Amino acid sequence: MQIIAVLIVFIALIFVDLIDHNDITLVIVISALLFTTITINLVTFWLITDPLKQLSIALKHSAGEKQADNLPNPNAPNYQRSGLSALLKQIYKMGSSQSDDQTDNKTDDLSALSRVFDQSNAGVVICDTKGKILYANSSAPIRTERDGNRAIDALFYTELSFSDWVKQVKKKSVRAHRTWLHIANKPPSENDRRIFDIVASYQKGSPYPIVVLFLDKTADYAPEDDQLNFISFAAHELRGPITVIRGYLDTLIDEMGDTLNQEQHELFDRLLVSSNRLSGYINNILNTSRYDQRHLNINLSETTVETVWNMIKDDMNLRAKTQGRLLSAIIPEDLPTIAADNASLGEVFGNLIDNAIKYSHAGGAVELRASPNGPNVDITIADNGIGMPSNVVGNLFHKFYRSHRSRETVAGTGIGLYISKAIVESHGGSLSVKSAEGRGSTFTISMPTYESVREKLEKTGGNNSEIIKSTSSGWIKNHGSIRG
Amino acid sequence: MAIKTILVIEDDRFIGEMYVRSLKKKGYDVDWMVDGNDGLVAARNKSYDLLLLDIMLPEKRGSEIIDALRNEKHDLIPNTKVVILTNFEQDDESRMAMEHSADAYLIKAEITPRKLLAIIDHLSKTG
Repeated sequence: MQIIAVLIVFIALIFVDLIDHNDITLVIVISALLFTTITINLVTFWLITDPLKQLSIALKHSAGEKQADNLPNPNAPNYQRSGLSALLKQIYKMGSSQSDDQTDNKTDDLSALSRVFDQSNAGVVICDTKGKILYANSSAPIRTERDGNRAIDALFYTELSFSDWVKQVKKKSVRAHRTWLHIANKPPSENDRRIFDIVASYQKGSPYPIVVLFLDKTADYAPEDDQLNFISFAAHELRGPITVIRGYLDTLIDEMGDTLNQEQHELFDRLLVSSNRLSGYINNILNTSRYDQRHLNINLSETTVETVWNMIKDDMNLRAKTQGRLLSAIIPEDLPTIAADNASLGEVFGNLIDNAIKYSHAGGAVELRASPNGPNVDITIADNGIGMPSNVVGNLFHKFYRSHRSRETVAGTGIGLYISKAIVESHGGSLSVKSAEGRGSTFTISMPTYESVREKLEKTGGNNSEIIKSTSSGWIKNHGSIRG
Repeated sequence: MAIKTILVIEDDRFIGEMYVRSLKKKGYDVDWMVDGNDGLVAARNKSYDLLLLDIMLPEKRGSEIIDALRNEKHDLIPNTKVVILTNFEQDDESRMAMEHSADAYLIKAEITPRKLLAIIDHLSKTG
């Protein structure tokens, strides 16, 4: 470029006759000047411009930009001579440590983070999308399985466990969060039990897609659990005397039956009904305590409404008779079978009939009626008693709820309907009510037919985990193998 | 197998007497032990047709007694029916273990002597 420019200027000067093309001295001077300039430029390029260019390529490469040019080799003799070699090596080293941090060497990241997380009393667990634990700090509840894999040590007695949630978000979500409250790592009776609130977050595509935080709330939740344990122990204590009362009542009636007059028979019936009701209330308390601690389940098997009714009908008929109510049961013979725990469902029938008797008038009718309803069997328990206004109906299934009026007129604890609803929902069924003030109430238990849940039950061997509805958080126990 | 001899292991005096009285009245040959150690010794020394076993017992729990008598290695009471009678419901795991070794698992508060006799009669016929 420089040579061409000088030649153009030189020729132009000759054309305009400013210089004589025969002046050889001038030509020599100009040629010398041209040569010197080119030499200086070449030296400048070799010593300054090219090394800067190579440094620029190296820096861009280290920063992660793709480079079309060949990368400068720090071991090339010219770089070693010029001292550029050390500088290039340093740049490449910086680049490589940065790229390790971002991709391959996750453990460097985690070890730095773990020092921070270990200061916290909140548990931190990082998993991949298969649920494999990549990192857990010292406060996290973690157990080691037999196969050596680590797993989160928490009892997710909820409608959606952590592992199910992971499967769900992996399929459907880009970003998701979920909170679980009151999740324990062990059943209530065991030592070193901890109770957590758990927050899990998912981010698709992240090298650490699932982050789970465990907030240890044992101090907040334990008193409530202790209270439930106390109630449970107290209820067990009550069972001792009631065993003797019911036992000897039965014995006395058997042995003295023939000698009693009509009035004495009625007195014995009242004793029997009262002790049976007391026993039912104790069962309600125990069931509620266990339900609230979420460590109870029920064993479902194929049965009929008739079977459940037969277990309790003597007791219920006696209750109705001694309190002057007309109890009738209408159960069609060709009703489909249901999946139920006989004793638990019997307790629900008992609670609802007991309520119907309590909240109806002397001489009133109480009717249990079963009928098929699509994939369900509906069992209604209806009375023509005092009924309820709509504002009461909305709160009816809450624990310890008692309407203002019922508090004044009828004794009760307010857990009968709460636990009945919980038991029915733990069967995969539902419990609802229709009521009109002054005209009576109708409770409807809707139970799935055995056929509709057969497959799920066969898969779990009678456990209710597969059919339990998402609205229910409870597991109810199974009862005596022979009872009643 | 007709049931004739019964061992009751029950620490509650009233409940124990109630069962023993009804069973004897019905013609069964009944022995009654009130603590776990004595109960285990009695069950080892004599072959009973039926063992009525409480769980919450002094000295030795019912679960330990059944485990000592009947486990994976040996069955010292091959001809004995076992009925667990308790008011203390256990967690599922220990309960299932006991049910595995027993013929019935009953809640005492739900079982009057009349019902117990009916269950024993049932076990006699099905045995």
